[in-house]
Amino acid sequence: MTIKVRFFARFRELFGGDIVTAVSPGTSFMGLVKEIAEKNPEGYEAIFDQNGAFREFVILMKNGKRIDCARATEIPVADGDEIAVFPPVAGG
Amino acid sequence: MMLTEREQERYKRQMLLFGDDGQERLKKAHIFIAGAGGLGSPISLYLAVAGIGTLTVVDKDVVDQSNLNRQILHYDRDIGRRKTESAEEKLRAANPDITVRVIDTTIDAANVHALVGNADGIVDAMDNFPTRYLLNDVAIAKNIPLFHGGIRGFYGQATTIIPEKTACLRCIFPHPPPKEVFPVVGVTPGFIGMVQATEVLKYLLGSGELLSNRLFIWDGLQAHAEEIALERDPHCAACGDTRQ
Repeated sequence: MTIKVRFFARFRELFGGDIVTAVSPGTSFMGLVKEIAEKNPEGYEAIFDQNGAFREFVILMKNGKRIDCARATEIPVADGDEIAVFPPVAGG
Repeated sequence: MMLTEREQERYKRQMLLFGDDGQERLKKAHIFIAGAGGLGSPISLYLAVAGIGTLTVVDKDVVDQSNLNRQILHYDRDIGRRKTESAEEKLRAANPDITVRVIDTTIDAANVHALVGNADGIVDAMDNFPTRYLLNDVAIAKNIPLFHGGIRGFYGQATTIIPEKTACLRCIFPHPPPKEVFPVVGVTPGFIGMVQATEVLKYLLGSGELLSNRLFIWDGLQAHAEEIALERDPHCAACGDTRQ
């Protein structure tokens, strides 16, 4: 299964551009993002809190639809999915 | 509200787009701009020259040298001056045919309703989410649009919030990102500010498709724009069915 993960704003600075990755069937949204983030301690820190949950301001999208952070462990990813992970930007 | 001869001449080129009727609509309008900084500078300047009849601009700060890379309403000679005073001078000089009101204050929960008054729309040109949430609440209470923009570095976002119809700012961003001194180069608020100002004009003219239920995302480094579909959160603390 191939999934495209897109990071935006500060997360893009930390992870670089889009990441296309192969995952095994049954991988959850949370599992996938963790797998990528664990290779990048600073990036992991930006996205996850000390309990390993998504930081509350992080916005998750799957194929253009919003995913509730609290449900990210239950939601599986499927071949061809495009997921997006980004923080709001606050500057003006 | 008739246009004067001078106004007819001033707005000639844009009246080719939206006629006397459109220009008169702009003249009748009152837009509230929260902030005279990176976003507020280009937004207020372009709305002024477009002929929005009344602009209210609120800011609490003094011009600092480090603002000048992006806050194009303020010049080197304005360092140390109130931003509202500097903004008023520039906007009046740019277009003496409109009314410019400036208010030097910090927007808070106690004053936000009165500050916005009877404006037809609110432009979010703030640099923090707590104040944005106040603007969102007052837009919902007054049933007027909120034109949101936010920036960081080369990256920006914008959306147009129409109470009762679209996701509100809290539906989209229920939790603010952590506070930081954000990096920024002037072109980014210039770009996002123009997206917001275009939305204001379209809303007032009733033309085109607004960024409603769409989050516009701009990555200047990649020169890539995209949008994300949004929907109302029925449990939203600000606009949901169960709100207090």
